Amino acid sequence: MAATTETVRRVKVKPNYEMIAWKWMRYSAFALIPLVWIHAILQDVVVGVHAMDLGYVAERWASLFWRVFDALLLGFAFAHGVNGLRQVLNDFIHGEKGRKILNWSLFIFWLAIFLIGAIALIGGVNQQFPLE
Amino acid sequence: MSTLKTTLTGYAGYRGREGHWAFLLHRITGLGVVLFLTIHIVDIAFVYFQPALFLDALALYQTTLFGIGEIALIFCVFFHGVNGLRIAYFDMFKPGLWSIEMQRKTTRTTLIIAIILWLPAAVWMVRNILLHNYGIVLFGG
Ligand code: HEM
Ligand code: HEM
Ligand code: HEM
Repeated sequence: MAATTETVRRVKVKPNYEMIAWKWMRYSAFALIPLVWIHAILQDVVVGVHAMDLGYVAERWASLFWRVFDALLLGFAFAHGVNGLRQVLNDFIHGEKGRKILNWSLFIFWLAIFLIGAIALIGGVNQQFPLE
Repeated sequence: MSTLKTTLTGYAGYRGREGHWAFLLHRITGLGVVLFLTIHIVDIAFVYFQPALFLDALALYQTTLFGIGEIALIFCVFFHGVNGLRIAYFDMFKPGLWSIEMQRKTTRTTLIIAIILWLPAAVWMVRNILLHNYGIVLFGG
């Protein structure tokens, strides 16, 4: 058998949109571990949905720390998730036109939901509502 | 629609063992969590836009059916997270180690870690559902 030598050739590629998106999935992954795990364990296991009401959210958002935490969660998790959804749909949708429509639709979807979350996060619990 | 069929039969028919299962589980859990998160951002936003609807949504989350969904959600968050770290670590720091043997080993470890993280949370959530929805005290009442 002929001996072969293996050489690793490193190439520099000009970063394009898809590559930035690929890196984003990996960088955001490291930030998401503390953000998502702390949030989900705290809310769903330690506190639990049975102990929640409007006053609970008002109390949490009275703390700047948790508001900033939620803002990071909203920014990182949802962008990661929607980009992931784009990755999955790319397996089914080929062709330039289809991909273009897909990218724009998902971007608008992401922006709409993100804005809804961001406005609520800034506005806080509606005090007009009678809290019993 | 032939691409749809080709892709789906590829998902189902490919026999890549651990690598195949890890891919499918990572997809399903990721999609499950975005679906939840989309609904979740809207239901939390009700505290500002429509507080009465927030209370309705909360009542829904407290039902046993949703409680079971939440236990599944916690598993998704753990498995997807551990497996995602595994992928990101190999891709970014050790690309040379993407071998079949390594994949099989690390995938099994990933599953075990995810289950170990998930089990105590799941037990506690079952306890909460039994306590609040049925008045059954398992422990720590
Ligand atoms: C069923 C389990 C969960 C429960 C009970 C829950 C509960 C809550 C509550 C009560 C809030 C209001 C603010 C606060 O208290 O900090 C909130 C906000 C938020 N949660 Fe969750 N959470 C859960 C799972 C998750 C998961 C898995 C994610 C991410 C993937 C997530 C992402 C967010 C985000 C982004 C916000 C801010 C929403 C906004 O800006 O309007 N949550 N969650
Ligand atoms: C807990 C921390 C998380 C980590 C470490 C993580 C890591 C990753 C990584 C590395 C990928 C890329 C996989 C690849 O290209 O092969 C990915 C894909 C994905 N992630 Fe996450 N993620 C996390 C949380 C989330 C959350 C909260 C969501 C939903 C909102 C989500 C939804 C997705 C989706 C839909 C994909 C695409 C799956 C696919 O292409 O098969 N992930 N994740
Ligand atoms: C917090 C709420 C919930 C979460 C996070 C959740 C999450 C999930 C996930 C990740 C899967 C696996 C998806 C798949 O196999 O493709 C699943 C499957 C399923 N869920 Fe849920 N779920 C929730 C609530 C519910 C509710 C309320 C119902 C009943 C109306 C339900 C009924 C089902 C069914 C029937 C399946 C099996 C689907 C299949 O075999 O393809 N889930 N769920």
